[in-house]
Amino acid sequence: MTLKVDIKDKIKQNSSMFVNFIKNAITASPKVQNNFLEVTTKVAETALKIIKDADLIVDLNYKGKEFWSINRCKTSCFIDGGVDRTSIISSAPLSIRAGSYIVKPDATSKREFFEESMVFLGDLYDPKNELYDFVDDDFEEDQMLNKKKDGARIIFEAATIVKHILLNKKFDYCFLHGPLEATVMPFTVAGFPTFTKFAVENMFPFISKNSSVEARHFINAYLEALNYIKKSKFPIYGIVETSNSAPYIKNLLFNYKIKGTISDKDYNSVIKTIKKYKITDSHILEIILSSGQALKPLEVKKQLAGFTVTSGSAWEEKMDSFPKVFIGYIKTSDNQAPVRIESLNYPKHLIKDYEYILGTSRLLPNYGFPVGLNVVDKFAKIPNWMSKTSRKYYATHLLRQAIKNKDQNTVSLAVKILSKKSRSWKNRPIGGISK
Amino acid sequence: MSKFNNWKAIGTVLGETDINEYHFSLKNYKAKKGDIVTTASRLPSTDGTVIPVTVWGKISSIERFNAFFPAEAAQELTNEDIDIRDTILPTTKDELRCKVIILGYTEDGKEKISKLLPLNYPVMPAAIVKYPSSKDVEELFISDLDSSHPISIGNLLARKDVEIKIDGDNLISRHISVWGMSGSGKTVFVRRILTELLNLKYPSFVLDIHGDYLGFVQKQKKYFPDNKVKLFYPNLSVRAEDKEIVYTLIDKLGNTLTDPQRDFLNSLLEKIKYEGGSLLQYIKLLNVKAREFASSGSTSFKNVKPASMFVVARSLRIVSKKLENMEQTNARHRRKMSHLKFEELPDSATEPEKIISKGQMSILYLRGYENLPASAIVSIVLENLFRHRQEASEEIAPFFTVIEEAHNFIPSRSENKDDIPSVDTIRKVISEGRKFGTGVMIISQRPSRVDETIASQCNSQVVFRIVNQRDQRATTRDSETLSNDDAKQLPNLANGQGIISGQIVNYSLPVQIKFDEKLINDDIGNENFIDTVENWDDKESVKLRKKFAKDFADINEIDSRRAN
Repeated sequence: MTLKVDIKDKIKQNSSMFVNFIKNAITASPKVQNNFLEVTTKVAETALKIIKDADLIVDLNYKGKEFWSINRCKTSCFIDGGVDRTSIISSAPLSIRAGSYIVKPDATSKREFFEESMVFLGDLYDPKNELYDFVDDDFEEDQMLNKKKDGARIIFEAATIVKHILLNKKFDYCFLHGPLEATVMPFTVAGFPTFTKFAVENMFPFISKNSSVEARHFINAYLEALNYIKKSKFPIYGIVETSNSAPYIKNLLFNYKIKGTISDKDYNSVIKTIKKYKITDSHILEIILSSGQALKPLEVKKQLAGFTVTSGSAWEEKMDSFPKVFIGYIKTSDNQAPVRIESLNYPKHLIKDYEYILGTSRLLPNYGFPVGLNVVDKFAKIPNWMSKTSRKYYATHLLRQAIKNKDQNTVSLAVKILSKKSRSWKNRPIGGISK
Repeated sequence: MSKFNNWKAIGTVLGETDINEYHFSLKNYKAKKGDIVTTASRLPSTDGTVIPVTVWGKISSIERFNAFFPAEAAQELTNEDIDIRDTILPTTKDELRCKVIILGYTEDGKEKISKLLPLNYPVMPAAIVKYPSSKDVEELFISDLDSSHPISIGNLLARKDVEIKIDGDNLISRHISVWGMSGSGKTVFVRRILTELLNLKYPSFVLDIHGDYLGFVQKQKKYFPDNKVKLFYPNLSVRAEDKEIVYTLIDKLGNTLTDPQRDFLNSLLEKIKYEGGSLLQYIKLLNVKAREFASSGSTSFKNVKPASMFVVARSLRIVSKKLENMEQTNARHRRKMSHLKFEELPDSATEPEKIISKGQMSILYLRGYENLPASAIVSIVLENLFRHRQEASEEIAPFFTVIEEAHNFIPSRSENKDDIPSVDTIRKVISEGRKFGTGVMIISQRPSRVDETIASQCNSQVVFRIVNQRDQRATTRDSETLSNDDAKQLPNLANGQGIISGQIVNYSLPVQIKFDEKLINDDIGNENFIDTVENWDDKESVKLRKKFAKDFADINEIDSRRAN
């Protein structure tokens, strides 16, 4: 009874739960709306019992002054990628970069470095392989463009980590803003272009120079990169602010089902409920964990096949070979949902590493997220003025090249690219033709 | 070959620019607020060609920020007593963003830096910003000032080696206001100006309330052997036409009068003519006459009863007593400085040349006088001197008047002292002075309390440290060239640092005024009152009084004892 009351109180104080409640109030049926609080409470109670049974909760220690006087000798690297917001129909995303913030507080000479770790000039995607993906549907066109941008950002971030490993950097910690292993399912769609040979060679020198075109596809290149990252000598963590799914809870339940502690029927039923009420790890763990508490990592399979896009596709098997990810959570502050910690290996020094993440997050008390990632996020972000400028330069360059070519079709193509939407293209002013 | 190429690059012009200002990103520690900077640009000329130019500007503000340092981190550092250098927070990502007010441009390819011309085409974004050499900045200022009588006042605040000169011709004809808190450097500046005017043999008339300028008298022989420095004490000479001033003085200094009593005073002033002479004597005469009329029950004043006449007589006695007291106070102060030669102020109506003369500085020492009598004195003297300049005969040379504590002589309308006699006089001198060569310098620590019309007619301004916000607003209100950025700097200025603007320099410049230490009045203490008390010993008369007081106290005590 006490546990129930306690969890109910926590739900009332919980901001992300409230947000979800509002979302449900808009989209869900009256029954779901009505039962949301009760169901969430019950799921949280059950999850807490299982978590306690599995002894997954750890208490972390943080005493500001003392913590930093001990950890001032550590070298940390924080990585984030940035993409511009303008869009041009092209396979080559403009203005993309990944930055690193490397800091060693007690360094005798230079204590901190801001590094534009991955800057790539040239065609990222291969022009010979579906360079300009004109489709009639604007929506699909945008979807593909966004996927290319996401793919480029993810590969840049991975390449940055790879670069640091290749350069044999002596980091005590390396943190990536976002999941360490992204879900690759969106890139399995037909027509997603491959990277250029030059790009792959530059980003991942360990990939054979004579590899096939297929090897330069996002999924293959990313898999190679992850396998390389997994072998790193220093610990690498991906930190995710809010979890929109429930991989931890679902895997925990799955493990208990495998052990036979939960029946298949109960497992299926609770998974169905979680989906129905859109309950995420963040919601459940925010009310289960107290500030300064963490959950030990669980090994989770991230790349799940079986969706329409991947079912039967050539990538289905490949997705199976992606490394599993260790997922843990830390509640860094009273006001925020726990942050998700991803790693490709089980942490060798779990408590110390998690305490370090907690310590760096306490420097951002309201946001509850490692401050180094906040710093590198600002550094890597591509501001609007830079996006606009790069678009202007790109447009000028493209048109100049097209006009130099003197081929009418090439000029039309260039204008079409700059028009972005096919409707704008159709309605373009055409000299000398009256409609 | 442009001089631009030889100067050090210190930054890059940012984003959008216009013809009045631009922003640039500054290299760490390469320039300060108030510094003069340049950037190369190209302009369309009148003949349609494009010409290379150097655009000159003044850094009006500098912002320093670390965009990578989250504000909430500061909260944690403070609460937990953490040293930022122990943490992973960035400490080296400071950015400096400067705002530059464009002063104008000079054409490239000329051997000497020419006069600044107004910019009519925006500065190039992403252009390099350079730090011109001190020699070139000085050359620009001199060439731009284009003055036949430049007066050195100090150096550019941001650069010690750039001497700042102002235009002497504009100074003495166009009027100047000097604002600043007590001890901020106003007197230092005025001394500088007066020194230069003495060197130019230009006559000046200084209304000195506190004796700040007596140093000129003390050191005249040593430093100004070719000049005369006269020190006067007030002697109020009145003429028939000063009736209004006398009336105001009696009305304000004496008892409050009723309407019939005022009528009697007015009639008395009409009846008792006084052809020149001391004001005090005149008031005494009025007092005697008022008593006579009251005693004799005179009927020559309609509807005025003898009782009312007695009230006016009493009021006149009070006024004459007050004037006597003020005269005595002034005399006591003068006696303290017996080594200085004080002269009675000559009659400005009949002997103006004794006050204003080529190469002479005349100081009117007003210490001890209340505002109203001092205002009356100033009004009468200035009115007469101005009249002598106005008249075709031009009996006196052009001169420069320095009015200390101007809020006492030309109070703002909000002070409700509009009828103070000197307001109209100074307003007239200021508005017509340019034609007749009677420039005025008004000095005050409370610019918000100074008459707005008069202040706004001062074409140049020097502002020293001001903390009071009303006074800060008043400085920008009265000036056309002082910007809000300049006003923000006012509370932070140190002693002797001021912002000079207006026609004497063409644009506002932060300046360190040259301190003429040699001209300090040795008789004025250094305000070290604690030392004074430490060394204090009562005068003999006080000691005696204390001794007698004790004797009397003993007597009283014995007297009050009970029997037994």
